[in-house]
Amino acid sequence: MDIRGLVLINSEAESGTEPNHFGEVPLALVDVAGKSALMRTAERLRKFGVGPVTAVIEEAPTISVRGLQGEPGLTSMISPRERFWRTAENAFNDLVQAGAEIVILIKLGCYFEPDFDAVIQSHLDHNCRVSKLSYEGLPLEVFCISASRRNDAASLFRTNLSKCRTDCEIVEQNGYFNPLSNACDLRQLAIDILTLQTDTSPAGQQVKPGVWIARGGHVEKGARVIAPAFIGAGACIRSGAVITRCTVVERNSEIDCGTVVENSSVLANSYLGAGLDLAHSVMGMGVIANLRRGATALISDVKLVRSLSDSAAPNFLSSAKEFVRFIPRQMWRGIFGARVQPADLNTTLHQTSPALGKAAGYEAPACNAGAADEFSNFVAVRPHGNQ
Amino acid sequence: MEINSRPVVVKRMPERVNARTAREFMRALRPFLTTDRPQLVLDLSQVARLDAAGVEMLLSCMSAAHKRDGDLKLAAPSAQACVVLELTRTERLFEIYDTSTDAVRSFSGFLPNTMRQQLLHNRSPSMSAA
Repeated sequence: MDIRGLVLINSEAESGTEPNHFGEVPLALVDVAGKSALMRTAERLRKFGVGPVTAVIEEAPTISVRGLQGEPGLTSMISPRERFWRTAENAFNDLVQAGAEIVILIKLGCYFEPDFDAVIQSHLDHNCRVSKLSYEGLPLEVFCISASRRNDAASLFRTNLSKCRTDCEIVEQNGYFNPLSNACDLRQLAIDILTLQTDTSPAGQQVKPGVWIARGGHVEKGARVIAPAFIGAGACIRSGAVITRCTVVERNSEIDCGTVVENSSVLANSYLGAGLDLAHSVMGMGVIANLRRGATALISDVKLVRSLSDSAAPNFLSSAKEFVRFIPRQMWRGIFGARVQPADLNTTLHQTSPALGKAAGYEAPACNAGAADEFSNFVAVRPHGNQ
Repeated sequence: MEINSRPVVVKRMPERVNARTAREFMRALRPFLTTDRPQLVLDLSQVARLDAAGVEMLLSCMSAAHKRDGDLKLAAPSAQACVVLELTRTERLFEIYDTSTDAVRSFSGFLPNTMRQQLLHNRSPSMSAA
């Protein structure tokens, strides 16, 4: 039997929910442990004998076709927003023309691992035109459509999958489910993949129990990777860095020397600077979303966080440019730079930090340390911390 | 992944780990740490007091094992040991298992359900706007 797959990804969210994006990229296209939800869905469909799979993706400036390649049997089509549903309907018709008898239609959305064999069997047993999947009573945008019922399919596409011309048979399915609606869900998916809660596994070779490294991933000597963890293709973990507690470092990312990454996801093509401590976060595209604090911060300092290019040449040129600018500046400073004399303790204590300064409307002394006048050996220390 | 057939050494840590006992314990461990690719499990179930010297000893052991391409794992930490490890944020540098048996088995296969990790976080609706 010829069964094919059609996967749709667009910016429309289900009613009552916010659009599921991270840094303008749909979450279904963000790599998690080496593969995006789209690729994992295509892989699962192929495992159940459903293929080839066509993906229709809404056009966005941050989406490149290059990032969608690599999954066998998956063809991607990028469509403008206004023509998205028309393109989806055309893609369905193309699949039917190519000989498909049943089409599995999935809108990502959520990441779900149903038993497609059972779904198709139920669809055939009940002689349905369109079957719809549900998980724990929650209807999902996953359909099984008889290819001969083009009008039913057309009614689905023309109502943005909200209504079908005929009643859909609801097929209840169990299996791994992740709503993939925000950064928390993205992180949870990474944890579930690394702790083998899902059928799908990290896209790399297990080099030691619980540590997966994809082709081209590099861990320098002196870096420590504690299981479970995933290092993506072309990613580099510099010396002294620590990767721990279900951390995933996606493809072409770099963790610089001495940085600790704990229970976090570092998305593809990201650079995390030296000597930092990233915990309970999703980081990428210049954004850090801290899951414990429920806060998102846009980091503009490229020494801390920056995006890297997909290909090696721009990264090399950028590094070379930085190096060429750094050497003469350091030489100039070394030869002609005025040496800054450290201010004495008394002056320092009565001086307002430039960081707090007038811009914040704060003109009081940094601290009211009258004792400094009386005791020459007086030193102000922080009550906590190691600084 | 290659099948691991190298021996795993399990050592139980003393009830009180201070500068003196840590030094003695380290001395006892040294022969194992100087082997090729050492695999060690330290059982912390008996530990009632663990001070800075104890934590430093654990880090030294880990570093020594790591230098020789080996690994050090912790097993069954007592509540007191857990508090000290969390306080010093060193618990994230080790794989920690519920029992010594699980820790030993983890050298030959990944056992995600036996690891002690606090990975759950509060789901925040504000994250969706990221």
